[in-house]
Amino acid sequence: MNPAAEGTTYPAVAFIVDPSRVAAFRALFGIDEGVPPTFVTAAEFAAFPQVVADRHLDLDFSRVVHGSQGYDFRRPLREGEALVVRARIESIRMRGGNGFVMIAMDLEDADGVVVCTARSQMIERAAEA
Amino acid sequence: MRPIETVSIGDQLPELSRVVTREDVRGYADASGDHNPLHRDDAFARSVGFPGIIAHGMFTMGHMAAAVVAWAGRPDAVLAVSAQFRAPVFMEETIVAGGRVRSIDDGTATAVLETWVRVERGGRTEWPVKKGEARVRLA
Repeated sequence: MNPAAEGTTYPAVAFIVDPSRVAAFRALFGIDEGVPPTFVTAAEFAAFPQVVADRHLDLDFSRVVHGSQGYDFRRPLREGEALVVRARIESIRMRGGNGFVMIAMDLEDADGVVVCTARSQMIERAAEA
Repeated sequence: MRPIETVSIGDQLPELSRVVTREDVRGYADASGDHNPLHRDDAFARSVGFPGIIAHGMFTMGHMAAAVVAWAGRPDAVLAVSAQFRAPVFMEETIVAGGRVRSIDDGTATAVLETWVRVERGGRTEWPVKKGEARVRLA
């Protein structure tokens, strides 16, 4: 991983809050109504391919573990709505051969309002000697 | 939503348990779009040092969030939720989500919960989610 990639931003990616996927999340977690909070992970996966393919960032996904995850909502997601997902590399720290990258994603609605910010900390473990 | 006058600092959330199955993990991969082989291919999981496939961290966090939603009364009462992933979850293990009220803000009618997911393994308690947190709107 390249620490100089801190601050990278990626082009917006379209994401629809597909009611059938939302229903699948509800069924998996026994939630009766609404959009389960962690459904946002589906939006993150719409934008992740750009991060994984970023040669400047040079993240080796085969050595990555998920360190932490957070979601901050300005308002709930609405079933069926069209959002865009904007990803950025918020911070990169290297420690003991391991790399810690915080990937932040803003989910914006059709009015350009950020409805949720997702933060994923990925840990790229040191390569085997 | 949960009425603020019924909530006190230190209140415990009802624990929520489930056994994690291969079917759950396959269903989660399809719904989320996370098709990492670590969660579907035992041979791959063994090649990176696990005894077999593990659940997605986000599956475990989704279970934790379900415990928060159950306490809050509805999903849109959850204003924020976060988790640190500290241990893997293997198939057929029972994960237990829990939490307690850390603080209450009367001005915004919100509560902050500390939350976790534990699993009993080999006679000791492991923490797939430690230092989880949720901010919840109260009525």
